[in-house]
Amino acid sequence: MLLHILNRSPATSEVYRQALAAMGPEDRLLLIEDGVQGAMSTLVGHFAEVTGRLYALRDDLEARGLIAHCDTTVAVTDMAGFVTLTEDADRTLSWF
Amino acid sequence: MSNEQGDLLVILRHGPHGTSWLREGLDAALVAAAFGRRVTLLFMGEGVTALLPGQGSGPLGQKGTAPTLEMLEMYDIETLLVEAEALARYGLDAGSLMLPVASVGQGRIAELTASHPLVLTF
Amino acid sequence: MATTEIYRYLFTPNKKIPLDPEGYLVNQADWDREVAEALALEEGIPLGDEHWEIIEVLRDFYARFEQAPAMRPLVKAVSRALGEEKGRSIHLMRLFPGSPPKVAARIAGLPKPTNCL
Repeated sequence: MLLHILNRSPATSEVYRQALAAMGPEDRLLLIEDGVQGAMSTLVGHFAEVTGRLYALRDDLEARGLIAHCDTTVAVTDMAGFVTLTEDADRTLSWF
Repeated sequence: MSNEQGDLLVILRHGPHGTSWLREGLDAALVAAAFGRRVTLLFMGEGVTALLPGQGSGPLGQKGTAPTLEMLEMYDIETLLVEAEALARYGLDAGSLMLPVASVGQGRIAELTASHPLVLTF
Repeated sequence: MATTEIYRYLFTPNKKIPLDPEGYLVNQADWDREVAEALALEEGIPLGDEHWEIIEVLRDFYARFEQAPAMRPLVKAVSRALGEEKGRSIHLMRLFPGSPPKVAARIAGLPKPTNCL
């Protein structure tokens, strides 16, 4: 299982499509930095194919005032959770 | 497939001239190959434009990346893959590119990232 | 890596040629046979026909790919141009002791190979 990390918003960048194309059926996707916009209810549809395997970093959501806009299907994770996700994965892959 | 599997997958997602990502990705691939690693290159998204024939130097004389791509074969980097969807988006045909490439679909790309022990994105 | 920093000069009977800190030419256009011979002399290498044919392969490689090769592609290029025997790394080590890609590139008036430690 790989952990894919995306730091670009699906509203402004097509990079999320590359991340999705490279994801295996068990892989997880963590949204960080501007990537957390993808956790918003209005944008989360871009990640429909990885529902249940989609995570967003709490610190970046909070910094952007997006916590209240975060879709309930997204697992919000703190820094400790980020570390755990990394440890659980065989490798991580960054999409930027 | 596993017996011809490379050690390193380098994913190139940027075109020539706009940024240095393409050059940096190619440099990483060349260094690995110079040390005997088997390298697979995958061109995704805008990266497929790196393979257009007829590229030149930049308006200020900056070196292009086409000569480096032509050199890959001298480093035994011969597994060149392109994302089928990206080719379609740019209206390109795998056979019209400057090097022989194989077009790969979404499922295959996920297999590649899973099966290579090291994957670098540029 | 090519650099424009002049660190010292190479003196030939007729010229004064600027070199970078690693002994590579600052201006590639300064290169000619006499310069090559002077550079080789610094390495303790008297250039013979066998050296010259490798230098020619290297310069062709650079003209085509805009980079000096590491060992592996150098071996491949020499094999193709001059045959398997001459493409063996032992042959290149004998002609350009130490690091053949670096030493030969310097004598051939090319920048230091970038993908070669």
